[in-house]
Amino acid sequence: METDQALNNDLICAIATPPGQGGVGIVRLSGEGAHTIAAELCKNPLRARTAVYTDFFDAEELLDNGLALWFPGPNSFTGEDVVELQGHGGPIIQHRILNALCQRGARLARPGEFSERAFMNGKLDLAQAEAVADLISSTSIAASKAALNTLKGAFSQMVTAIALDIANMRVRVEAAIDFPEEDIEILQEARVAQDIAKTITSLESILAQANQGRLINSGISVALIGKPNVGKSSLLNALAGEEAAIVTNVPGTTRDLLKVDLVIDSLPIRLVDTAGLRESDDEVEKIGIARAKAQAMEADLTLYVAAADEITTQVNVSDLGKNLASLLGSNDTAAEMPTSNILLVINKSDLNLAAGAPEDVASVRVSAKTGEGLDLLKKAIQESVGFGQENVPFAARQRHILIIQDTLAKVNAAADALAQNLGAEFVAEELFIAHQCLGEVTGIVTPDDLLGKIFSEFCIGK
Amino acid sequence: MQYPEQFDVIVIGGGHAGTEAAAASARMGAKTLLLTQSIETLGQMSCNPAIGGIGKSHLVAEIDALDGVMGLATDQAGIHFRVLNASKGPAVRATRAQADRTLYKNAVREILEHQPNLQMFQQSVVDLVVENDNVVGCETQMGLIFRSKTVVLTTGTFLGGKIHIGDQQQSGGRAGDPPSIALAERLRALPFRVGRLKTGTPPRIDGRSVDFSELESQLGDDPRPVMSSMGKRSYHPKQISCHITYTNANTHQIITDNLSRSAMYSGAIEGVGPRYCPSIEDKVVRFADKSSHQIFIEPEGLNTTELYPNGISTSLPFDVQLQFVRSMQGFGNAHISRPGYAIEYDYFDPRDLNHSLETKVLEGLFFAGQINGTTGYEEAGAQGLLAGINAARKCQDKSPWEPRRDEAYIGVLVDDLINLGTTEPYRMFTSRAEFRLRLREDNADQRLTPMGLEFGLVGPLRRAHFEEKLSKVEAFKKQFKGTCILPGSDLDQKLALNLRKETTLEEALRRPEVDSEKISKALDKPLTEENGDAHPDAQALKQLEIETKYAGYIKRQDDEILKLRRHEGMLLPASMDFSQIDGLSNELKQKLQHHKPDSLARAARIPGMTPAALSILLINAKAASKNSTKASTL
Repeated sequence: METDQALNNDLICAIATPPGQGGVGIVRLSGEGAHTIAAELCKNPLRARTAVYTDFFDAEELLDNGLALWFPGPNSFTGEDVVELQGHGGPIIQHRILNALCQRGARLARPGEFSERAFMNGKLDLAQAEAVADLISSTSIAASKAALNTLKGAFSQMVTAIALDIANMRVRVEAAIDFPEEDIEILQEARVAQDIAKTITSLESILAQANQGRLINSGISVALIGKPNVGKSSLLNALAGEEAAIVTNVPGTTRDLLKVDLVIDSLPIRLVDTAGLRESDDEVEKIGIARAKAQAMEADLTLYVAAADEITTQVNVSDLGKNLASLLGSNDTAAEMPTSNILLVINKSDLNLAAGAPEDVASVRVSAKTGEGLDLLKKAIQESVGFGQENVPFAARQRHILIIQDTLAKVNAAADALAQNLGAEFVAEELFIAHQCLGEVTGIVTPDDLLGKIFSEFCIGK
Repeated sequence: MQYPEQFDVIVIGGGHAGTEAAAASARMGAKTLLLTQSIETLGQMSCNPAIGGIGKSHLVAEIDALDGVMGLATDQAGIHFRVLNASKGPAVRATRAQADRTLYKNAVREILEHQPNLQMFQQSVVDLVVENDNVVGCETQMGLIFRSKTVVLTTGTFLGGKIHIGDQQQSGGRAGDPPSIALAERLRALPFRVGRLKTGTPPRIDGRSVDFSELESQLGDDPRPVMSSMGKRSYHPKQISCHITYTNANTHQIITDNLSRSAMYSGAIEGVGPRYCPSIEDKVVRFADKSSHQIFIEPEGLNTTELYPNGISTSLPFDVQLQFVRSMQGFGNAHISRPGYAIEYDYFDPRDLNHSLETKVLEGLFFAGQINGTTGYEEAGAQGLLAGINAARKCQDKSPWEPRRDEAYIGVLVDDLINLGTTEPYRMFTSRAEFRLRLREDNADQRLTPMGLEFGLVGPLRRAHFEEKLSKVEAFKKQFKGTCILPGSDLDQKLALNLRKETTLEEALRRPEVDSEKISKALDKPLTEENGDAHPDAQALKQLEIETKYAGYIKRQDDEILKLRRHEGMLLPASMDFSQIDGLSNELKQKLQHHKPDSLARAARIPGMTPAALSILLINAKAASKNSTKASTL
């Protein structure tokens, strides 16, 4: 088996335009089969070196429309088959297109990989080589920093725990293979099956919790919650920069949820305005309030909007919790809501009241009316979901999610191999690859590391 | 005096590496001299009397596929054969044989004595003859000089050997062998890196003093496997059983009470022992919660009563050895015929070798076997074979053979050693091979024999045997493809397929519950034994079964693994100065400078390597090669 050529032009894809909102957003695809899966997305035949105006689909769902350009290799930027899908830009759409491509066999390109391929295929001259190396070096530093950022916190703990679970399973399976004569019951198939099932559950829950699907498909969701007439809808409009919500000064105007998609410095956000929370006899409004409460629970971030004149005394976390609890009408609900997901927004700062400053609550003072503090609010929203500069963490996070999806597929395959009684080495092989996948996030475990674990856990040796 | 004839290849050392090396280079037509301290001990099994086992039998199969000695000798000497992992998949099934030490030695010597182009000479080597950084021969104890184009050094643990029995120490190689000091001095003067390892042996027991009625007995397998693909059961001598006993609380107490007298625990030993082969002291200390350890009692041979109790290697003093041995079931009156001991020895850091096993320090000098930090007859034999091949190829002005990791366990072994070195005696495990599914015992010939034929390494008998197997597999494949099974037909019922629609026999074979035995029975051509040996078609049919059943799976796994690798074939120029490459971390620069990988594949296996760093290496390598092409065209 030759280990070189065939695998070096596997299909890669990436967003080719700078992050953020732009007039045109280009998704580029390079490698063997680029033309085939692009045509599948377009449901249209592509013509070489010709712009084809087409819709882009993910299965039956229309994602965007725009131009598809096919550059058959070797006459392309990378020297391979390249397709560019030029749509309407916007990270949400672009990421959905990337997702659709990845589901059909492409993978996200590593930093600088298009240039690397171009260079390897003689499309860039020697003088440019250095630049490419620099590019890879610098972007990978940024990416690894970003990866590090996303690896802080619960997400990373979960991934690390799963990697450990897989390592432990591998220890048992590999020990059973390499040391079948030891007087230890290393491989109890039932136990391995159980461990695999447990890992599958963990991986599935991490995927669910990572929320990345939602993040990619609709951005993060931010709910505006507060008493009536504190200016939630005004704030929404100020953020959206357009009159998306109906804003009046009659309490209870917003009776149902109003959703606005907007992008703040390339972070896609679904902002949900809710009915003001108050006791109401109006049936329609009651339903609206119930929905608002539900929305507050589901949102990635809840902006608890209070008018400056509402906050006249010192506020602290427990006050806020209590406030919110009473607003939501239940202590339980409030207890379930982590305060880290709540941002206190003190609106109507233009009233210029000498309001009490919140102590240990994250808070921002804004004026939806004058626009004062809006930039701070935008920044606070981004930071609250771990979104830094340059859009890098978002991509890094997405890469991690894809890795976890791959890992899950392999662990599922291990479960199948075990169920089909294929032989321990087939189970071992799937777990090995699963471990390798996850290794991109957690670091690779070498065969020798694994042997070390085996020898430290089991008394092996004749 | 200078010996009148000149040789192509001189092999120093007559252990498992030396004998394979000498036989291989002679098979390739190189004029070969084997220099050994004792012709009597050629092919001596100095540790436990067994060949094969998991990972190891894979190496034996590869040696065998290249027409080497080990598999053939094992079939002459094996007194107890088993297939390990029989219930698991084909890639990890492994044949293991207990061998009669004397029969084994005799078989090896017989093969060597019948090998054309090979001569033997009994004498210690005291020095190498070096001219212009090229090894051109060696000098023996009596001042005799043999000249050659290449030298393969396979002298095992002869370097700085120190034996520990409790608090007593003595210099030496294996028990009974004198250490070859002079040659060691010579090698130490060269810029090789040297490390220190240790290993242990158990006390040997006189079987007449053991009550076997108190031991569990373990029979060999029936049907009995053979080690060589050309082996026959009729070659096997008489078969006997192994036995199993256990340590107990009393044994552990005796050991614990005397720990301070163990060379290992008193600090007298500085070398690093293997993690997979801990001494009994180690087991008792590290796994204190285990109340009992299993001890395999291996017979040393048919005509000796000596036993090898596998699992109690020790460096405790003799009186303690006797005490704890006698605490085990069936060993109440045991007589120790040879005390157990720990041996410390120096090894040459294999990172100073090329993948051909030629040293980077002296051209024409090859190292193989335990001297490179490995353990085990099979690991030694595999390296010996490779060194012998490459020494002969060097004489023929041919490029060295460097088996890849996806091609052979030999490739995995050498690649691991040369890339990463080792800190404990290196032993093969299947988990070291990422292409485990394709590196099987059953297909070793298909993987390697064609290569062996190309090298002129494989003789006419094996060639005929191999070609016959291939044509049989091909014929079965054709037949199975062309045999249609209709729902409800005779075959459908006999194979219990419950077909809904027509299928082929080949498709039926893909099912997990259908195997070659069932099919041959259903076809009324049962694979019955002939003259006490497996049916001549059995091997080919089994091969077809494995290939048919697992082909798709193996292909998919290959793809998965290959996806994780890129541009692995890209060579890194020897002149590459890793410290001058921008964008690499200082830590990686140092590691790269240290390992000096000659390809991207090898760089990728250096611990701590990252995808980004590989990309940077790739681009620099490509740029360097473009530069040099440019320069040469100017």
